[in-house]
Amino acid sequence: MSAMGSATAIVGMGRAMAMKGEGDPKTPLQLGAVAARQAMAAAGIGRHEVGALFTGRTPQSYMVLQYNQSLLNELKIGPTFSSEMTSHGGGALGTLQLAATALQAGVIDYALCVTNEASGIWMDQVGSNAAWEGDLQFEAPYGPSTPSIYAQSICRYMHEYGITPEMAAHVAVENRRWALDHPHAVMRHKGPITIEQVVTSRLVATPLRLLDCAVWYPGGIATAVVLTRADLARARHGETTWLAGFGQCNTHEWVGERMGGWGYAPFEDGPDLVQTGAGVAAKQAYAMAGLTPADIDLAESSAPFSYVNLMMLEELGFCPRGEGGNFAAGGGIAYDGGLPFNTIGGYLSFGQVAQGLYNLQEVVDQLHGRAEGRQIPDAKAGIVHMHGGPLACHSVVILSKEPVA
Amino acid sequence: MTAPAPPDFPGDWSRGVPLMAGDWFIGLYQPSPETVGYWEALTRRELVLKYSPAAGRYYHPKRIVCTETGSDALEWRRASGRGTIYSFSEVHRAPSPAFAASVPYTVGIVALEEGVHLFTRLIANPGPIAIGAPVTVDFRVLEGGVLLPVFLVGAAA
Repeated sequence: MSAMGSATAIVGMGRAMAMKGEGDPKTPLQLGAVAARQAMAAAGIGRHEVGALFTGRTPQSYMVLQYNQSLLNELKIGPTFSSEMTSHGGGALGTLQLAATALQAGVIDYALCVTNEASGIWMDQVGSNAAWEGDLQFEAPYGPSTPSIYAQSICRYMHEYGITPEMAAHVAVENRRWALDHPHAVMRHKGPITIEQVVTSRLVATPLRLLDCAVWYPGGIATAVVLTRADLARARHGETTWLAGFGQCNTHEWVGERMGGWGYAPFEDGPDLVQTGAGVAAKQAYAMAGLTPADIDLAESSAPFSYVNLMMLEELGFCPRGEGGNFAAGGGIAYDGGLPFNTIGGYLSFGQVAQGLYNLQEVVDQLHGRAEGRQIPDAKAGIVHMHGGPLACHSVVILSKEPVA
Repeated sequence: MTAPAPPDFPGDWSRGVPLMAGDWFIGLYQPSPETVGYWEALTRRELVLKYSPAAGRYYHPKRIVCTETGSDALEWRRASGRGTIYSFSEVHRAPSPAFAASVPYTVGIVALEEGVHLFTRLIANPGPIAIGAPVTVDFRVLEGGVLLPVFLVGAAA
């Protein structure tokens, strides 16, 4: 465990949501501002105490330069340290890492991290997202859909490790099972699904079928977090959730450009669509926390496709490389008795909001016994993985109910 | 970098059309200065790559700086046009109306003989499209109305 492990705590959180077609449509800024004030109120800090403001990247549905400025303008705060964390979907969670770094450097006492998106309300994401995920010169002209871009990694993954559609389908089935218990999971009302249904659903982009894919969340979500140092957390705050450890790794932009030898570890072996920065980020996080995967009670991944969840189970250390398929097929993530994995339903059945950090809120709720109807008994530590790019930027945070000694 | 572009190719595959994601403008006209040589070569039906004389290796056409040496003295060199399939996906749900009439079609990554990987369209000729299958470059006007390098797969390639 390093000095950064369990040195920073979450002392307040806020969340705002809006669903498409329900009530007045909301912008990400509206949701973010509300969530921020909730988090400040929960932490019991005033506007003058917000030392740092960090936001995820500019929401796709609120395209301004310097989104963090829009937010601080609305909140009427004057942080002495402020930035967007722009590493795609990984940046939303990366804000916590930036906060911890600033707090432990002693330049601030409190950090406010806000991440929000409402593209499900304002945008056609199926029609627009591929243009964000692909290189405009060297990829987009060939007509790749977002699934077909991720499928480049998946095709190699199947080829190299003998992964089958049935193995991947276990992720979809288990994600759906968890979603049935979650009040905000978008696929909750669709009922359970079977392996057979997954592997016979219609093709989207080989090998991906409809039920292998994330569903875009038809709404907006904002999550805000107030963090502070251990001494202040203990002296001044009630409920605390500890950043036991964290890590991050950002490797490329565009799927074609990631190929080609790096020349240094761990990517020195050259072209590889399967090995991602998630493994690097997870190793950092475990080392900082002084924990191993065996210590983790629940895991939440932002992987938007069934097969990619198998890859991330490997990268997060829950099974050896190439064993994700056997792990899932053998009950490793079974709702009954397996690792509680994607307990919100995952991106496949909760729905995907690239920013919004719903999965972070879930781990905090689980650690403090608030996950009504899906509570994991005696949960002490959970791991959150956010990514974007696709598979280019990875951020991992391990949260614990108590500081890890 | 100064080869004259034919009248039907303004050096800009977007043809001056703003690149949109839904209602959002998301990018400047293409190509960018570091890639214009690639697009000019395409008008001659040539596939070119960046080459670093200092390191003696090829790079993706986007590369600006040689990873090994740090040199920005990269040259354009013509590629053999031969390689193998590294990965692929057959698209059944098009990303936009422009591609809807073409489904299913296959996008993939080829490993060129020069050691560079390119994202591309794979066309069975006659196939089958599979990892490791040999491919040969061809040039086709795809759905966007732009001449692009594609790769033919199979014995007839």
